This record gives sequence, C-alpha cells and structure tokens, in this order.
Amino acid sequence: MINNIINTVKHIPIEGITYKQLKVEKKPLTPEYVPPPPELVPAENRSVCIDPSRTCMPLGAMWATLGVHRAIPFVQGAQGCTTYVRYTFARIFREPTLIANASFHEDAAVFGGRKNLIRGVRNLVCRYQPDLIAIVTTCSSEVIGDDIPSFLADALDVMEEEMGPEVRDLVKFVIVNTPSFAGSHVEGYNRASREFLKTLAKKTGQTTEDIYFIPGMMMPGDIKELKHIFELMDISYHILFDISDTLDCPLVGMPQSIPCYPPGGTRVEEFIRAGDAKAIFALSPDAGSAGAKWLERRYKVPAFVQTMPIGVKNTDNFIKKLAEVSGRGIPERLRWERGILLDAMADTLHYTMMKRVAICGDPDFVAGATRFVCELGMIPTYILIGTKSRTAYQTIKEVCDEYGYEPVIMNGSDQFEWEYALKHDIPDVIVGHSRCVSISKEIQVPLVRFGFPVYDRVGYQREPIVGYRGGERFLARIVNAILDYHYPDDRVHQ
Amino acid sequence: MPYYQMRCNLCIPERNKHTVIVDEDKSIIPESNAPTVPGDMTERGCAFAGARGVVGGPIVDVIHMIHAPVGCGYYTWGTRRHLGDGYNWAMPGVLENEANHRRHCYTTAMTEQDIVFGGMEKLKNALLEAFKINPGASAAIIYMTCSTALIGDDIENVAKEVSKIVGKPVFACASPGFCGVSQSKGHHEFNFQFYKWLLKYREEHPEVCLKEEEKTPYDVNLIGDYNIDWDLVTIVPLFEKIGVRVLNVFTGNSRFMNLLKLPDAKLNIVHCQRSATYIAELIRQGFDIPFIRVSLFGIEQTAKALRDTAEWFGDEKMKKRAEEVIEEETEAIRPAIEWYRERLAGKRIAIYVGAPRVWHWPKVMEELGMEVVACMTTFGHKEDYEKIVQRVKPGTLIIDNPNEFEIEEMIETCKPDLFLTGLKEKYLVRKFGVPTLNSHSYEAGPYAGFRGLVNFARDIYQALYAPVWRLAKEEF
Repeated sequence: MINNIINTVKHIPIEGITYKQLKVEKKPLTPEYVPPPPELVPAENRSVCIDPSRTCMPLGAMWATLGVHRAIPFVQGAQGCTTYVRYTFARIFREPTLIANASFHEDAAVFGGRKNLIRGVRNLVCRYQPDLIAIVTTCSSEVIGDDIPSFLADALDVMEEEMGPEVRDLVKFVIVNTPSFAGSHVEGYNRASREFLKTLAKKTGQTTEDIYFIPGMMMPGDIKELKHIFELMDISYHILFDISDTLDCPLVGMPQSIPCYPPGGTRVEEFIRAGDAKAIFALSPDAGSAGAKWLERRYKVPAFVQTMPIGVKNTDNFIKKLAEVSGRGIPERLRWERGILLDAMADTLHYTMMKRVAICGDPDFVAGATRFVCELGMIPTYILIGTKSRTAYQTIKEVCDEYGYEPVIMNGSDQFEWEYALKHDIPDVIVGHSRCVSISKEIQVPLVRFGFPVYDRVGYQREPIVGYRGGERFLARIVNAILDYHYPDDRVHQ
Repeated sequence: MPYYQMRCNLCIPERNKHTVIVDEDKSIIPESNAPTVPGDMTERGCAFAGARGVVGGPIVDVIHMIHAPVGCGYYTWGTRRHLGDGYNWAMPGVLENEANHRRHCYTTAMTEQDIVFGGMEKLKNALLEAFKINPGASAAIIYMTCSTALIGDDIENVAKEVSKIVGKPVFACASPGFCGVSQSKGHHEFNFQFYKWLLKYREEHPEVCLKEEEKTPYDVNLIGDYNIDWDLVTIVPLFEKIGVRVLNVFTGNSRFMNLLKLPDAKLNIVHCQRSATYIAELIRQGFDIPFIRVSLFGIEQTAKALRDTAEWFGDEKMKKRAEEVIEEETEAIRPAIEWYRERLAGKRIAIYVGAPRVWHWPKVMEELGMEVVACMTTFGHKEDYEKIVQRVKPGTLIIDNPNEFEIEEMIETCKPDLFLTGLKEKYLVRKFGVPTLNSHSYEAGPYAGFRGLVNFARDIYQALYAPVWRLAKEEF
C-alpha cells in the first residue's frame, strides 16, 4: 500500500530514516484535473468558505493580552478555544504562552458558565497572582448568553471573602466580548484595544508629554523597530500590548521562582495613565483604532490612525505626523536610515521593476505592503484582504490609483478564490503568510513571507518590516526571493 | 496518604487526587477522566479536536466540513502531522502541495445572522458546493462545534439530504467542544457515531462491503494508528511480511470507502487503545471479529505485536515468518541502537503525551537504557494509569491532566534530563534549560516500528547532546 522503504534501506545508519529516504508517492484522487464550476469560484457566490485567511476573534484578544505585563487571558469557553490558539502562538513565536480556560463541559453549556468563571478566576488569582486578567468570551459563552459582568462581581465577592478586600486592588479585570461569528482575529485585537482602555484608562488632569501607540498584530521585531525610532526622536512613548519582550524571551535556565512571568509587556499603570496622554497613535487601522478613537472621544486625547508604516511613504507619513504631534524634529539619523532604504531600492530596481506581485494577509499588513511594492515598481495583480475591511480597501484603492494599477482586490474573500486567480494569471512573486506556501509551490512562484501567521521558517518574528530599516529588510527578502527563483546563477552578479 | 501534594496545588485541593507517587505494590493510581478544574491552566483540548483533529482528520479523501464560525475551521491546519498520500490536482499535470485532507479547509464560516436564523440551509449548500469543487472527494464528514450545537442545527438530517442528492456518503459527527472533559470524549463520539452510521450505510448499500471472493483468511485492520509523520511506513510492511493483509487502517492515510469494509476483516489489531478500542469493541460485539492490543514502539513491543498476531492466526508458517522478520529487523537496527544506548544510558526522562504513548514508551526508554521519572497524560482513563504504574519504577511521579504550573514544579522536583511532551509545553520547559521533544507530531519521524526507533533514538540524542544546553549553563 505504501512505498516499502524496508526493502530499500538494508542497513540503517545512525541517522535513521531521513526525509530523503522517505519517499512517499503522491496518489491522485481523480485521473485528471477537473476545474471547479466557474460560478462557484467567487466566495460571495458560495456558502462554503474554502481556505479562510482569517481565524477566530478570541485569538486577537489573547494576542493583545499577552503583550501586557503579568496579564493572563481567561477564556470563557471550551478548552479547544484556548488550546488551538496556544498551538498557533507556539508555532509563530516558538515561545510558551500562559492562557487560562474556563473548561466548559456539558453542564456549562446547559446552565451557563457562571460556576466556571467564578471558580476559574479564583484559582487563577490564587496560584498566579497576576496583575491583570482579561476575560475573553467565545462563541459558546456568547450563544449561551453568559452575563460576564455579574459573574465577575460574584467572583470578586468570593475572592474578597477568602483573600481579603485587597484582592480588589491587586488584580485588574478587563472583559472582552469576542464571539467568533461576529468577526475575525483582527476584530478581536481591535475590541481588546478598546476594552482595555475603556476599563483601565483614567485622566488626572495633569497633561504629560507621553505618546501612546497601539501597534496592532505586529511581530516582536517590528515593535522593537518602533522603539528604535521613538528613541531616536527622543519621544516619551508607551506601546500598548507590547509583545516584544513577552513573546520573544531568552533561555535563562531554571527560574528562581515559579510561575515565571516574562519581564516585559505593557504595565497596567501605563493603561491607567493613558487618559493623560498627549496623543495616541493606532498603527494598524483595523487592529487598534477602536482603542485610540475611544480614548479620543472619552478623554480628548488626539488620536491618529495611520497605515502600518511599511515602506517609504507610509513611514514618512508616520514620522512626519509624529514629529508634528510631539514637537520633536526629525533626527538626522532617521534621514540617514531613510537614505539607506532609498539606496537599497535604487540598487535593486532592475530586479523589482515591473514584477507582478500577488498579496495576501490581514488588512493592515496588506494595505501597508501594497504601497511598498508599488514604490518598488512592482505591479500588484491580485490582493486578498483576509478579513473584510473598508479602510484597507480604500487605502489600497488610493495607492493603486496613484500608481496607475488596477489590481483585483478581493475584500474578505477566501484563499480558494485568490489562488484560482493566481493559477490562471501567474504572478512573479507572492507576498503573504505561511498558508500561501502551497499555492506558491504549485505555481512555482517564490513566496515572500510576512504578516500573520508565519510559522514555517525561523527568525521572521524577530526581523522587522516596519520603519525604514524594516523596509530595507523587507526589500531584501523580496529581492532575494526573486533572485532565487527567476535568475540563473551566472546572471546574478554584475 | 496515597496522593502526592504539589506545592502549586495547595490552594486548589481538587487537584490533589490527580497526583500520585508510584508505590511498591503499585496499587495507587490517580483519579482520571474527571472534569478539569477551571482556570488551572490545563493543557487539554476539546471534544471537537478529538473528533476532527485526531480520529476523523487523518481520513484523506473526504471533505472535512467544519460547521462553525471560521476559527474552528481554520484550525484544520492546527492539528498534528497526520500525513497521507491522496492528492488533488492543482492544475492540469500538477498535483497539490499537500494531501487533500491537509491542503484545504472547508467551513460554513457561520456569521451572526446564521447563528440567529440557523445554519442548516447554509451547511447543505456548502456541502453541495464543496462536492462540485472537489470531485476527488469520495465522501464528506460534517463536524459540529459549540456554536452550531447550541443553536440546535440538525446536521444528521442535512447529511442524509446531501448524500441523497450527490450519491456519496455523508457522515455527521456531533462532538461539540464542550462535551466530555477532554478530547477523549471526541474520540469516543467519533467511534460510536461512525460505527452506528456505518452499519446503517452497509445495510442500505451492500455493494460497499468486501465481496466474498475478495476476502482472504489473513485480512486484518490496524485500528488506532493515525500515520503521524508516516509511522505507517515502518509498521504496515512488517505485518505484510509475516503474511497478513492490512485491509484498513483506522484512520491513518485511509480512504473513506475502504473504511466501510472495516467489519470484513478477520482480526482487528489495536494500536492506540485510548482513541480507538471503542470501534474494535463495537465490531467485536456486532460481527464477532476479535481484536488484539499491541504496542508498536520499540523492539520488544513491536516483536511481541508480530508474535501475538501470528499466534492468533495459529499459522505455523506465519509464526516462523514473524521470527524471521523480528530477527532481520532487529539485526538491521542493532548497530545504530547500540550506538545510541551507549550515549543515552542513565538519562532521566519525563513523559507527557495524550495517554497510550505514556505507557507504550517506558519500555522503549528502558531499551535505550534510560529511566522514566515522571509520567503524565492529558486524557488518560483508569486503564491507562493501571498500565502506566505497572511499567514504571516505584517512586515515579504520576500526574493526571497536568497543568502548566504542575509541569513547572515537576521539572523542578523530578529534574528530568529530557521531557517528551507536546508543542505548547516544549517551549516552556526549554526556557528552563531542559531539552524537550515534540512527542505528538515528532521532530522528524516516523518513530514507530523497529526502524522508527532509530529516528526516535536519534532525536532523543540530538535533544540531549545539543551544545546549547551546556553553553546555557556556563557562567557568564
């Protein structure tokens, strides 16, 4: 039934059976290719979603919470709602994640999750002494109609009785409602950004020079690049949901005490003081603008929603706005970095100009990257915005109008539709996440990995794509992919 | 005091009866298969994961339709490496990059409106469309999830309707995430529901049964092997070599129509005895087909599996063949295993996997000269723990359904040299400077059978002897 390697490998060396020896023959399920009925290609004509480029809402809220110091998401739902997300994070970051679960069994589905929440929160507080617990709801608790605020009030009463009144001050609670049927992981992060500020932020009246930033679902490397920029500009900054030191941690050996919290992450105190901020920037319109806008509405903190600063112009716009708002100038060093990016673009223009590129991913990433590929002289052909987004669509439209391109923009469609287009109109490069690897191999086009999720190569979470330096790294990734695939080795050097 | 008190559990005494130290007469086992303590940072998954991710998922040539909001569907790609060799065409002349069951995710992507008005119509249309788009699919399996169970969608009815229209079998598995206490309930649900459905389908479609003239006296099914990282490559040929015909594997790299022939074998050989003994037992009751239990990891256990199989058939020629195969295979790997045994001897191992591998593996560790100091399972039942305590030394720590904190304390107190565990836990423990090995999907398998043991030993050696651990311990 399967290729019998036992007969082919007589003596087993100590390397064991390597993947090279393990040749498994692919067996076609149909004699030949059968094209799908054309009317079923567009996702909007179908009930079935095939290969979504988005996942569930709770994931986004858990992601945000993991960027807060000594904070633990408590997922009010079944165990899979936590386990699958932890798998996903483990693959992307190669890091452990602390995420608790209410462990819904049948009784919770019938009677509601009150008991689970009260018991669960109490257990968590007593064993982990977190600074903050984010209660993240799920499809099941939302369908059942769990009244989380009242459950939480009961939990606090129970804990007060057992642990004393100080418990109310020791642990902060944020409730994030994330029924997956109402949106994707991007919306989950967006809601978390709002709920954290809504629950925690205060205004004392003392204005500060502090500027707040909500990065969206950027990687640790991106956030570190932002910090580099802020330090160059001498800005007093606070990054909310700062995963850069919580989901990228050193190997340290056995800790002095357990449980072991990573030292990084945004402090709860920083959320509390957000009402006094001079300004707040959301650097991912679809993942974080809800928080920034809420702070503006509530505490009159000016909010600026920016396209993710990928490439020259997006970064320019961001830096200029930041210089203006902060009153700090643009430091020479940043102009230098900008010059390096331009230099790299000039040096590689023959590799990138007129190359046709297909893009796939979350709205904020795709919107930012589209302008960058246009700046490189590349031609965007098919753009899949994994989660439907008016903002991202508008941004992409504007960029493409400016550069005179007319790509097909699939807003909130699925990868089946996007891949069908790619098979019939093969691009030179794909810029997308790890789930684009199959189409990339099938049509033999290089894949430049970026966005959420990248799990099948190492180091991507540490390498920035934002800012001028990130732009230069991103450019190098794109050009090297093109060189690997499209240039004979003897025609690479000049 | 039969139970072992962990410090981290002082304030959640409910956990105490889940932790024990193996005693001299091996009489104590932890309480198991019990509800999880909420908020204890459990590593358990849900019943949907058990049905879809473990038992149903490896079936290659079907449409796995996840009736849920988009997330549960997306995690089609979040399961272990159950590989297969059935591929669809991407384009004329080009096969897809991944086998059918791993390449595509099919979901009804339920929206708020669907939740309010019910999703049955959408599910029906989704299936009809999926069959048109994927003509290579020989059947479909519908998986129910929390949200669609709570709104009361009748998936069984939809399955019947669609099956009638397309003329292909559609099996509906109701195993929403909240049912049971762990993924184990999902295994159970899939087994029972599939068997019940299969009986009915065979009755209505007798042509799917194995024809009399196609049967041989040596037809067996391998039950409960999911072809993790191509384990079947090292297992199936062993059985074929001793002269049996492996009719079916439930469910690694299996084809749906072939699975309908499960009750046409002479013997069921059960490997994973947590997730699949159910169906072997049901077939025994319904068709009077016996089953034997085997372990297919390590030399001694694999040899015993072959001997037991030959013994069951009572065929002298087969018994002789079994001895020859065992001899030949053991010889082939002897130099490699000796090389590793020299280097692994005396190392202390902690094992934490789903359930059966925790008792399949102590023997294997012994064969490699190592010592097991702690055993944990995510969803083991009483029988699993009875087997575990029989196979380890007194003094070994046993934890049922360990949570994150207990794992940290276990590492601190038991000080294992290596931790065999899953993806989520492996990154945690590595931070402490303790090497880990992904034991769910393996690092680079196969690990089963004689020849897989070399891979297993190699990966253990790599984990233990990587210079990084030494560098991490140096003063700086």
